[in-house]
Amino acid sequence: MESHLGPEEGKEKVPRTVREILTEMKDTSEVIVDLAYAALVFDSQDMAEEVQHIERRMDTLLYNIRIKAMLSARTKRDAEQLAGLLQVASSAEAISNAAGDIVNLLRYDSDKRPFLPIVLKEAEEKIKSLNLADGSDMVNRTIEDLGVESETGMRIIALKRGKRWIYDPETNNKLKAGDILIVRGTENGFEVLRAFATGERRWPQYPVREGA
Amino acid sequence: MDELEQKLLEVKDTSELMVDLAYSSLLYNNRDIAQEVMELEEYTDELTTSIQQEAIKRAMADGDVSRAFVTIKLTESLEGICDAASGIAEVVMRNIEPHPVIKMSIRESEVIIATATVAEGSDLTDKALGESRLASQSGMWVVAIKRDRRYIYGPDEGTTVLAGDTLIVRGPRDGEDFFKDLASGHAKLA
Repeated sequence: MESHLGPEEGKEKVPRTVREILTEMKDTSEVIVDLAYAALVFDSQDMAEEVQHIERRMDTLLYNIRIKAMLSARTKRDAEQLAGLLQVASSAEAISNAAGDIVNLLRYDSDKRPFLPIVLKEAEEKIKSLNLADGSDMVNRTIEDLGVESETGMRIIALKRGKRWIYDPETNNKLKAGDILIVRGTENGFEVLRAFATGERRWPQYPVREGA
Repeated sequence: MDELEQKLLEVKDTSELMVDLAYSSLLYNNRDIAQEVMELEEYTDELTTSIQQEAIKRAMADGDVSRAFVTIKLTESLEGICDAASGIAEVVMRNIEPHPVIKMSIRESEVIIATATVAEGSDLTDKALGESRLASQSGMWVVAIKRDRRYIYGPDEGTTVLAGDTLIVRGPRDGEDFFKDLASGHAKLA
């Protein structure tokens, strides 16, 4: 059965179940804030637009999860539990709204917000960028296959290839030499990742994991 | 960074901790953690007020209205994130077992929450988090530590991990096994 789409119906499909929608909303609420900060740090209108785009999708998801949740309540207990679930979904959407508001700050001249990048660079988990060198053995592999985050603690939130931005680039995208990676994590993790990205260090080989 | 920027940074870091704690409290249906989120919300409220007042004072002194405006706008967004985190924690405080789908969704996410108790022989034992570099070694970021009955929320790189501590961490799914093995002592740090 085709899912009911919200007023903001787009080309992108809305997942079918409450569980799938909530999972997507939870994931999105995390990545969208990182992207919003990255947009400020790099003064990037492109990233800001992506944040707005994701934010609109969150509205659609919230609308859909409300409908599905209401349809699935059978008892008072169901309704009580689903009210809590919808509160979580609304909160995830509220977080993405906040991210949308954050990128709106790009409308103001950058000399009015010179302190923002400075503040964000001092954060516990920092947002930085680095170049993928020709000699790096990360080239031609996907982020998921490498397990970049579990290896280095750095999460790649976006990458720039030529003029094009790729967001949430985990799967299906083989890294290419010259890619600019926008990453989030600790200072120490950044140094580790930089050594791999410049080709200074080889990416470690592990015996094939179960299920890999 | 000046005092205002320090406070801004504190609110930003705390807002992220609150979201992590809020999802953790849901996953484990843990009222202690949910309560902490509520308390952090009051703390960030106070910080926000003082940042906003300071920004206005500065604008009155130097006439730079736009700068104050941007600062105030940003603190409002951060406050929005903090409010959302306490909205999530509120679900736990209500004394109704959270819907089972919530747990499944949190477990199925790209960014998961996991927990493990640190064994005597673990490489993490008696080391500060900055020393074992758990985050860059496993991708897992420590959100809270449970020590006996007490919690340490948002530990930093100077926080020492002791045997018997239970770590609540946030990170990529494929970092979970290594993290658990590290905690139990079955795996060693590189």
